[in-house]
Amino acid sequence: MFHRIMRGLVDTGRPPHYAELARALGLSVEDGRQLLHAVMAAYPIGWLHPETDYIASFPPLNGLPTQYRVTVRGEQKWFAQCGFEATSVTWLFPGETVRVDAPCLDCGDPVTIEMRDGRLEWADPPGVVGHLNDGFGPSRGRPAFL
Amino acid sequence: MNLFRSEEHARRWTRFNPASEAGFLSLPELAGFFGTETRRHMLDADYLSAWFPKRAAERREYLTRIGKTIPFWMGTPDP
Repeated sequence: MFHRIMRGLVDTGRPPHYAELARALGLSVEDGRQLLHAVMAAYPIGWLHPETDYIASFPPLNGLPTQYRVTVRGEQKWFAQCGFEATSVTWLFPGETVRVDAPCLDCGDPVTIEMRDGRLEWADPPGVVGHLNDGFGPSRGRPAFL
Repeated sequence: MNLFRSEEHARRWTRFNPASEAGFLSLPELAGFFGTETRRHMLDADYLSAWFPKRAAERREYLTRIGKTIPFWMGTPDP
């Protein structure tokens, strides 16, 4: 199921619903729902929207829109989970230039990077930085929701 | 975990955490951090069982290599 979710996100820009996944996997709808929860428990860096069975985040991509818009082959239909994961999206599109556009949270001016097969090809402005505001793991002090 | 136009832009962000002064990565460091071996297998059918479990150790190794060994980065409780 993990692979189908990731592949679905890559192919369509949105996460599949568990009922769609269940049909594709030859499972009952309820078994599909339970398997989705098991997959999310095994992949805790993603999450379902609270109190639902909808995939909200499945890094490096996101089901809910974020400020990190991803464009491939001239199509902007993906969102990265966060600015850090945005640099990992390149690995989902081998051989393609992956462009990430985001507004700077300070001034709203654009931040843009382009990567291909893991290589940084372009950044505007050249001094773009990544910033971790709350630390990883137990030192974090905040829930994983970004 | 955000991208900013520069460190100064991050520090001016209204939600900037003053305790996160050590929380900067250059873009090449970030691309390296999120470009380690396991990341290259996210589309593999066995990613969740074969590759994802290796990520934590891989992250620690990369952070150590670039000198980010404080609890803030390593995910360990503050002393």
